[in-house]
Amino acid sequence: MKVLVTAKRVVDYNVNIRVLNDNSGVDLNNVKMSVNPFDEIAIEEAVRLREADKVEEVIVVSVGASACQEQIRTALALGADRGILVETEEDMQPLAVAKLLNAIVDKEKPELIILGKQAIDGDNSQTGQMLAALAGIAQATFASQIELKDEVATVTREIDGGLETISVKLPAVITTDLRLNEPRYASLPNIMKAKKKPIDIFTPTDLGINVEPRVKTLKVEPPAERQAGIIVETVEELVDKLRNDVKVIP
Amino acid sequence: MISESVLDKIRNISGEVHTDNSTCQTHGLDWTRFYKPNPSAVVFPRTTQEVGAIVKLANEYNFGLVPSGGRTGLSGGAVAINKELVVSFDKMNKILEFDAVDCSVRVEAGVVTRTLQEYARNKGLYYPVDFASSGSSQLGGNIATNAGGIKVLRYGLTRDWISGLKVVTGRGDILELNHGLIKNATGYDLRHLYIGSEGTLGFVTEASVQLTTDPGSLSVVLLAVPKMTDVVAVLRAFREQTSLTAFEFFSDVALQYVIEHMDLSVPFSKRSDYYVLVECIEDDDAITNVFMDCTDSGWVVDGIVSQSGQQNKDFWRYRENISEAITPFTPYKNDISVRVSKVPEFLAAIQDKVMSQYPDFEIVWFGHIGDGNLHLNILKPISWDLDRFKQRCEKVSESILGVVSSFRGSISAEHGVGLLKRDQLRYTRSEIEIATMQALKKVFDPNDVMNPGKLL
Ligand SMILES: Cc1cc2nc3c(=O)[nH]c(=O)nc-3n(C[C@H](O)[C@H](O)[C@H](O)COP(=O)(O)OP(=O)(O)OC[C@H]3O[C@@H](n4cnc5c(N)ncnc54)[C@H](O)[C@@H]3O)c2cc1C
Repeated sequence: MKVLVTAKRVVDYNVNIRVLNDNSGVDLNNVKMSVNPFDEIAIEEAVRLREADKVEEVIVVSVGASACQEQIRTALALGADRGILVETEEDMQPLAVAKLLNAIVDKEKPELIILGKQAIDGDNSQTGQMLAALAGIAQATFASQIELKDEVATVTREIDGGLETISVKLPAVITTDLRLNEPRYASLPNIMKAKKKPIDIFTPTDLGINVEPRVKTLKVEPPAERQAGIIVETVEELVDKLRNDVKVIP
Repeated sequence: MISESVLDKIRNISGEVHTDNSTCQTHGLDWTRFYKPNPSAVVFPRTTQEVGAIVKLANEYNFGLVPSGGRTGLSGGAVAINKELVVSFDKMNKILEFDAVDCSVRVEAGVVTRTLQEYARNKGLYYPVDFASSGSSQLGGNIATNAGGIKVLRYGLTRDWISGLKVVTGRGDILELNHGLIKNATGYDLRHLYIGSEGTLGFVTEASVQLTTDPGSLSVVLLAVPKMTDVVAVLRAFREQTSLTAFEFFSDVALQYVIEHMDLSVPFSKRSDYYVLVECIEDDDAITNVFMDCTDSGWVVDGIVSQSGQQNKDFWRYRENISEAITPFTPYKNDISVRVSKVPEFLAAIQDKVMSQYPDFEIVWFGHIGDGNLHLNILKPISWDLDRFKQRCEKVSESILGVVSSFRGSISAEHGVGLLKRDQLRYTRSEIEIATMQALKKVFDPNDVMNPGKLL
């Protein structure tokens, strides 16, 4: 059995995001980029399935500029077997990514596709769902536990107010939630081995997919700045402020 | 003892004087746990003038003053045990002025280190002096101890970033030193005398601090190094082939404490006696090349590399949280240094002494090995009382310090001398040097009101 996982290149979680002066987008100049943290969880889950002998091959896909090879190499160092880069300079939106992934699914015929539940840059949470619809296969989103048995995946989902357990027939799309696993660190011996693993490169044209953006970004603005808090000296002062300034107590 | 009428005079100078037991207990003590705080009162001045008036009063009525910053000091420098007046800088915490051309910022002494680091970042700049206590320690305290930390290898000590100081001497005079100048060849640089003086010459009330440009993306590498004496060879290899910003080491005992007490994941499947944390400018090819050299030579058996900013932070926690993880065990800290080239020889000699003299104690090693600086921590067995433990440690320290002295090293690399190391000063400073320091103190503080009993 084959598993396909994704490794999106995103602005690192620990970077202070700065909006460009002309409000056209986010400043990406000299900014640290990393694998989307939810994709790290997807990669870890796939590698664990292979280590448990439930699957034979883990293929990692990234869509975007040539630099995305760095994120593919990270995934290969973490244990994926080979990589695929769909190389494009276009601004990628969820539907286009889902179509490209669907074309790769057609080529590779994996039984399982694991993606992050969302990417921390756009926060769209759409690609996995769209891919399942395009491929006409089952989907289990927001997974916090996955069990594979006899062509069926039993998946525990994190939903508002609790957990839901469903079973889906393979092939299926699963998207990961935070609690699914704790990804391992990349070891240097494995980073060196990863250098020898193959990466195939396609363009959207090779795959026959039109990736022209459908949504136009009008304006990007930073969130309103929070006002600094104040430290009060006494309980009396606190009560006074709550009553007369903030007016939250009578 | 400060009389009630003198306390009233202090109140007239500065509105905020606390004599309650809880403030006296917290503000009369630093991070050390060997002393029982016993100050007369704690005052929270708001201006340099107020500090000056307090010093004049101390000279007039003959009472001791203890400067108090973030109280993270590790040598009892900010401890008041003799009814002194504690002068806290908690309320002098304003950032006063920023200049983009000078790349400098003028701050009051009570500004917290982390606040300055974040302020610099928001200006697109970088303040590189950093250590595990940055969230509480103050610029005044850093200056008074010439604090170092984890980036010394690339960026130097606090001293290297201070371009101006405003101080109040032990006579109560206000001096403005060096005015933020880069170049100033006009004789004795009193600024540098105040840096590292541990509050014994006067109070630092303001500082001009230089900032620099952000180093950009960094990689953090954690390596398993079985033999302590190979650590310096690994340092050399990384220094030659990467742009290092930090090089730290710690023992497996230290790692086990951090994992257990800080709830961190186990970094390597196989344990090793020692580990090294390397931080350098991101360059994957260079890192893998040095790693290969180090494994080929048998110095390193395993390694992991951070793949994200979050992992950078997580890896640093293995090193930075050691101090906190062992705090419950009342560690007796030896903070010693030698020239980097002497480190392997020195490590072997110290290891030897420790093994034979502390067989019944647990030892935690870590340190800024890239600067030749080792932290040797002895943990108190639960059943021992504090006095017995301290006495025993002081006795064994004698022989360790003998080794330090024979290597012409320092008995306090970066934690200062304070109360804890005062009687050991002679292992690093000659008699005549100490006498000269005493004479200098008399010039700035003739009546010995500034932090009496500390350092000298
Ligand atoms: C977990 C931990 C890790 C640490 N790691 C490091 C490290 O890596 N490197 C390092 O160098 N240190 C380290 N330290 C020691 C300590 O944090 C530093 O020495 C720090 O700079 C002290 O600052 P502070 O404001 O807490 O000073 P305090 O402890 O309040 O005072 C230190 C000394 O400075 C004097 N002082 C304070 N403010 C003034 C002032 N305004 N004017 C004159 N004198 C003053 C005090 O009287 C005292 O002698 C560490 C401490 C802890 C708890």
